[in-house]
Amino acid sequence: MDILFQSLAAFLQPLTLLLIVIGTLFGMVCGSLPGLSSSMAIILCLPFTYSMDPIAAIVLMVAVYVGGATGGSISAILLKTPGTPEAVATTFDGYPMAQNGLTGQALGLAVTASSFGTIFSAVIMLLAAPLLAVAALSFQSAEYFGLGLIGLCCITSIGSKNQLKAVFSVLVGLILSTIGLDSINGVERFAFGQPFLLNGINYISVMIGAFAVGEVYKNIEEYSHRDTSMRSSQKVSIKLMKFREMVKMWDTFIKGSLIGTVIGIIPAAGGSIASLIAYGEASGRHKEETPKFGEGNPRGIIAPEAANNAAVGGSMVPTMVLGIPGSPVAAVIMAAFMIIGLTPGPLLIRDQPLMLNAIFLGLIAAALLLFVGGRFVTSQFGHILKLPYPMLGTLVIVLGLVGAYSLKNSFYDVLIMFLFGFIGYLFDKFKYSSAALILGLILGDLIENSLRKQIIIGNGSAMGLVTRPIAFTIIIIAVVTLLWPSMKKIVSRRNR
Amino acid sequence: MVIELVFNIILGAGLIFFMVESMGLPAGENPNDIFGASGFPEILSILALIVLIFITVTVVREKRKINIPMFNLRSADGRKLVINVLLLAGYVALLNVLGFCITTVLYLFSGAVAIGYRKWVTLTIFSIVTTAVLVVVFGSVFYVPLPRGVGMLRELSYMIY
Repeated sequence: MDILFQSLAAFLQPLTLLLIVIGTLFGMVCGSLPGLSSSMAIILCLPFTYSMDPIAAIVLMVAVYVGGATGGSISAILLKTPGTPEAVATTFDGYPMAQNGLTGQALGLAVTASSFGTIFSAVIMLLAAPLLAVAALSFQSAEYFGLGLIGLCCITSIGSKNQLKAVFSVLVGLILSTIGLDSINGVERFAFGQPFLLNGINYISVMIGAFAVGEVYKNIEEYSHRDTSMRSSQKVSIKLMKFREMVKMWDTFIKGSLIGTVIGIIPAAGGSIASLIAYGEASGRHKEETPKFGEGNPRGIIAPEAANNAAVGGSMVPTMVLGIPGSPVAAVIMAAFMIIGLTPGPLLIRDQPLMLNAIFLGLIAAALLLFVGGRFVTSQFGHILKLPYPMLGTLVIVLGLVGAYSLKNSFYDVLIMFLFGFIGYLFDKFKYSSAALILGLILGDLIENSLRKQIIIGNGSAMGLVTRPIAFTIIIIAVVTLLWPSMKKIVSRRNR
Repeated sequence: MVIELVFNIILGAGLIFFMVESMGLPAGENPNDIFGASGFPEILSILALIVLIFITVTVVREKRKINIPMFNLRSADGRKLVINVLLLAGYVALLNVLGFCITTVLYLFSGAVAIGYRKWVTLTIFSIVTTAVLVVVFGSVFYVPLPRGVGMLRELSYMIY
């Protein structure tokens, strides 16, 4: 208890508090701009931390991380362009909800869920960090394969109304994920001698193309038949959830946060996979609810947002306790620890107990500040939305282009964005699912590599998938979730 | 229906290409890697082809009419969209030649005009101010090396970002 009070005293310094405010706001702004990720925001903060007190420095970076994870949802909801990879799943229901005139509610759901997820993971981190970190290390290829399969379960809900076309779209995404160097034996696949294809196709460029550019094309052709008077008079402001509404959807908040925390703890899994899995779980469980998932269901925002922010706290667990970063952003934070002169690992927790508490307090404070930061960033984005569509449409394309370009400062990513703008447009017209395609592209690598690694470990046998209890349980859950809608239909037909 | 059939044929051709290419991939040296580099793309292409055949059969049966303005240049909406796609293609193509500043101002202006916006002064101010903001935020604050163009334009861009 003494240590907690000492941490609180160190934390309540005016400079530290100011840094949290700045960090959260900066993270949100960077997160909301496509192309500027949380890791980039933290890297930009890094030089300022060299001369800071270690607690202030770490708290600043944690605040940026939390802000960044939330900021991505703002552009995902308003422009159908996720600001960060973690916000991909938020687009599925966030944008349709905004299109239904519920922009404020959608943003409110995102901020509330993000805040809840952050606090949830912070508490878990404080209570059980060492235990969880060790448990996470037992995750091997078989378990990762199971996680990938669970992620694919989203397809049953994000897919278009035509499930067959959704399955086809996900298969195309999985095929596209095989482009580039095979990470197991280094064979060049479908790169055709082009160096830019060796690293594979970046799903952010695909997403910007298929979602944002495709949507602009669709709006351009509808522009002359549309009533634009409402859009320009609309004021965009966050409408926070009432406690009563939160209680109604408590299960989605808790499950999303739990999934996010657990996935965040597992090294190299990260917030984007966590949000997809949480979305898949929520959409599978509440499939019958209206509005449907993919058409603006509130749970479709709560689950991924709670999960991707919970993954922030989760990813700090192995970073702090074992010195193994739980995500790319956590790796940057770990580097910052070393620059300050601290070595993350079991000794850090023993020798610097204040640090864990400071991160806990930083997460809580940043989570609460999201409500203020959210209002500020949203109001700025609101001005953009008031633009007449010809200006807004071209601006979205330019923002998307800068976002795609700044991923690797590569012109090829811009070309990919342009190409997938067409594909997204045509997919929409023919009722294929761009979301399912991106899902396949994101998870393809994880599924293929973990399965192949497991088979190699098993000397050519896949029995490890069945004999490892955690992996087997995850795979069974995934298969049941995938087949459940079809099974339910068959059972109800028979009953009739 | 015809357009969707053509689209499906193009997709099918792409999948067959992927399948054939993956069959030619070299086998790995590890005998325990039973899938190898080619296994996944092969399986996925075959599965996707099967699903595509089912979809195509359904398309032929349903004979649903789909309106795609992009392929109908007789309609005003179609022309508007095609012009915008061409403008975007031009923007992307000229980005590395003229640099980010000039191409972005030109695209923002011409793109909005092509959609149907006609308030010239507002549009001119919008194009210039938006480009300036983007250059300051991405180029100067976040150090994103935005395209600079060639020759003198490249030298000039160093004075801005």
